[in-house]
Amino acid sequence: SSGIHNLEPLETTISDMERFKDSAKFELNCPNCSHLFPFGGIIASNFYKMCYNGVQCKNCDHVFNMIQFTSQLESVIRSHISLYYAGWLYCDDSTCRNVTRQISVFGKRCLNDGCTGVMQFKYTDKQLYNQLLYFNSLFDMEKNKKQLLKPLYYEGDIDYPSEQLAESAILALTEQNRKLFEISQGVIDKYLDNCGRRYVDMGAIFDFMMN
Amino acid sequence: DPEKYKFRTMRQKLIECSDVLDEQIELFTKFAKEHLNIPDTEFGDPTIQSQADVYAIGRIVPDSPQYDGFLNTESLAFETSRLNGIGRRIRLNLEQVEEVSLFCGQIALLKGKNANGDYFLVDKILDIPYPDFPLSSSDELSEYSDLLNKKSSKVIVTSGPYIPENNFDLSYLTKFVEKINIDIRPHILIMAGPFIDTTNSMVMSGNLPHFDNLKIQPTTLNELFVKLISPILKKINPSIQVILTPSTRDVMSTHASYPQESFDRKALQLPKNFKCFTNPSTFQLNETYFGNSNLDIFKDMKEVTKGGKTTMSNRFDRVAEHVLQQRRYYPQFPGSIKKMTIAKPKSEDSRSADSKIYKHISGADLEVAYLGLTEFVSNISPDIIIIPSELLPFARVVKNVIMINPGKFVKPNGANGTYAQISIKSPDVKDGSLTEIPGEESLYLHNVWKRSRVDVVTN
Repeated sequence: SSGIHNLEPLETTISDMERFKDSAKFELNCPNCSHLFPFGGIIASNFYKMCYNGVQCKNCDHVFNMIQFTSQLESVIRSHISLYYAGWLYCDDSTCRNVTRQISVFGKRCLNDGCTGVMQFKYTDKQLYNQLLYFNSLFDMEKNKKQLLKPLYYEGDIDYPSEQLAESAILALTEQNRKLFEISQGVIDKYLDNCGRRYVDMGAIFDFMMN
Repeated sequence: DPEKYKFRTMRQKLIECSDVLDEQIELFTKFAKEHLNIPDTEFGDPTIQSQADVYAIGRIVPDSPQYDGFLNTESLAFETSRLNGIGRRIRLNLEQVEEVSLFCGQIALLKGKNANGDYFLVDKILDIPYPDFPLSSSDELSEYSDLLNKKSSKVIVTSGPYIPENNFDLSYLTKFVEKINIDIRPHILIMAGPFIDTTNSMVMSGNLPHFDNLKIQPTTLNELFVKLISPILKKINPSIQVILTPSTRDVMSTHASYPQESFDRKALQLPKNFKCFTNPSTFQLNETYFGNSNLDIFKDMKEVTKGGKTTMSNRFDRVAEHVLQQRRYYPQFPGSIKKMTIAKPKSEDSRSADSKIYKHISGADLEVAYLGLTEFVSNISPDIIIIPSELLPFARVVKNVIMINPGKFVKPNGANGTYAQISIKSPDVKDGSLTEIPGEESLYLHNVWKRSRVDVVTN
């Protein structure tokens, strides 16, 4: 399956909705009542609300301390990085679909007898990079204010929130939570700064000019 | 060279990984041909049918890529290099071998025959020679011994976690620092991470308390380290050299894969008597070579064993022998993973284990393309190898190498853990404890295992 339909648009022109379509949600645990719920920025949710000093659990009214929030964010990022390094591969042949952590000395060769499929990482560095960017977007002041975040719920979902947030409330809450957002982005930047995908290897691209 | 560990992470290329896996086989092929007097002509491709016995070098792998995690002597295969067998794999028949200790990722030298093309009938598993030991001249040795006024050198080794799973009690660490300064006064203190573990249950669930002794509460895990751990470590007497080695689960490391870059001492806000080393690292204290790897091979290695002699022997010794023979601190491949079941199959759909849903927690996090950095430096065996493990602490002499697992500093439930105390008698060319290797200039084996005492001490 190749051809013009597989051409991807330039990365910078993709909307967050498209770019983050496979990204996993950021699931938070309430340290007070152990309720689990996804966090999606300053949006309407049946499980949490943003108040002027952080995230508040709707089940028990507990307001998260800064570190109760950032420690979970960091630990989730690390589990994603670790899953990436588990190195799961899959075979792209639809009749094989071999999933394994074995790597042949010919990396792309499928280890099932006679299969001519090509092995690829299941969790690619691009997915991981996008996952980090998705977490980053949740604390992007502009995207929150303009309500450009990837939605957690769609109409018809069981958990679709009963009440929506007013735009003025979103603007005010974003400003009030500036510190939490900046600190959370700092936690994510710590990993983005070490992420090989962020840096283009110019040497490799222009290698042909050296020969 | 610590600079080599400063590569960017999260950008693995499959081809680079397989290049390294292929090179491992080729390296040992070259090596076996040099060290064991086997003529080139007796090496062969074990994956093709042949009438004659051949010697073959390859990697031990499962016979199916989808194996379920439990292997036995009937479910192993052998992977050849690109050059020797175009990377093909062949099932192993181990019926004729009495003593077996094999594991996935092991590079093995086998002798046997592939009579019908279906399997390689192993006749013999050959020992890969152990690496050489470091040597010193008598001038160097007397210099080292003068440095210490001919007294023993004292080294303390600790390993994380330093924080229990259910509270932030740091009293063990506080008391330990007092003891270090007043009673023990070692020359060197080696502390291995994790200091703050990203998989600690309090960290994962955000269940962090209010710290009453702090005026300003920490906002991130990094600050938690700087505000809680650093102040305690800073109290260590500046005349004691402290070496810190990270774990891939350490909050203070942004490099979450193995081999792993060192901590940034300035970010930890620690004084100059602290040195941050890579994981793994090899270093020399006077004459003694230390190897230190903070990835739990003692727990992770899943051996397939057979035979009375093998199964009756100490498992720690067998794993240690494998590490020495493979000349790598973590020879298992693929590395281990730790996962948690989050949804069980419904009763009517419980046919396969696949219907369970797992959540990934952590793992060995191998950066396969850089596994070369986990090999013994210059193919020399360290005198002392420290590999912290979750298993029981121990100190053993294996093939004249001292192998140490200091054990956890605190237990998950908050109970006191252990650390290791090493004292090494000053080297003396005249007292007969060193072995002379005659030559143009006489060199000496350090024989650290004959001159040392290791105690595993409870906190």
